[in-house]
Amino acid sequence: MTTLFKIATNNYIKSVFNQAQRNISITSTLHLKKINEIQEGKDLVIYGEIVSSEREPYLLKSNHSKACPLCATGLDIKHTDVLILSQFVRKDGCMLPRRITGLCKTQQKRVTYLVAMAQKSGLMPNLTPAYSNKDPKKRYEWKKYNKYFDETTIPFKL
Amino acid sequence: MSALKRVQQWATFARIWHIYNAAWQNPFHSSELIKKYLMGMHKPIYHPMNDCGDHVIVINSADIALPGDEWKKRVYFHHTGYPGGATWTLAWNLHEKDPTMIIKKAVYNSMDGNLQRRYTMQRLHIFPDENVPKELLGNVSNEIRQLRPMPKRLDDYPEKDVKEFPKVIDYPKDYVLR
Ligand SMILES: [Zn+2]
Repeated sequence: MTTLFKIATNNYIKSVFNQAQRNISITSTLHLKKINEIQEGKDLVIYGEIVSSEREPYLLKSNHSKACPLCATGLDIKHTDVLILSQFVRKDGCMLPRRITGLCKTQQKRVTYLVAMAQKSGLMPNLTPAYSNKDPKKRYEWKKYNKYFDETTIPFKL
Repeated sequence: MSALKRVQQWATFARIWHIYNAAWQNPFHSSELIKKYLMGMHKPIYHPMNDCGDHVIVINSADIALPGDEWKKRVYFHHTGYPGGATWTLAWNLHEKDPTMIIKKAVYNSMDGNLQRRYTMQRLHIFPDENVPKELLGNVSNEIRQLRPMPKRLDDYPEKDVKEFPKVIDYPKDYVLR
């Protein structure tokens, strides 16, 4: 074992070392988790909770084996389609990374642009950071006026 | 002249009142549309010497939309005539001072500069919001169709609709919700 450990560290194979440290669990560790924060008087209670995904019953079925979920739908998404775009952002309006969205490179970049356009137009004011005042009409100078965008200006074409 | 023909004659030369909701509309594209109604170009009897233009009421002019960053790129030039009297005003600055001015200037500039232009402009009534005087609103018999659909904000949808809308992706199995 010690020789194996030496070989592993010498060859920079970290994975051998890491797997030796991994704990054995009888039940599956892979679950969708939610972290709740509850203020009870002076105490802040933070606890994790295993939840089932709310999206599961409404998930689109795809017959494609290779295409990414968005290419499989064959939709031409505009920046005003907030019901679709809101699926790719966190609660604070931040774009989810590609390892979570599972989109192809082109679609991920396109959706990132479209989300930014929707946010600038003030179409997703409830998906903003906590410090945001949530009202697009209270924004600074020219940002408080309505604006729209042309999707053909996105440099990533399908 | 028969009664029918007489009424047809009145209807042909009567001034019609149109209403246009400018919310989320490009003022420069809208002006090309409004101009046709103001000058009467949508009528078969149109002729430049024929005074057959209609009235147009534009509402919600404070909620017009410009593409991209045009609010801070479009500049309005004015010169008082005195030395050093030139001013350059950004579109959002002008809109802040008078929310009817951009659409008024857009319609004015969309028409040729002839003697009729000032009189045609008198038939254009612009209001920054939906509060139109009753006596004007009572004349309206036609609504001009908007050029682009008004986008709906995410928080305007009922919570149930957002939750039950078909989902493209699901979270990975080991994702921590945020
Ligand atoms: Zn794809």
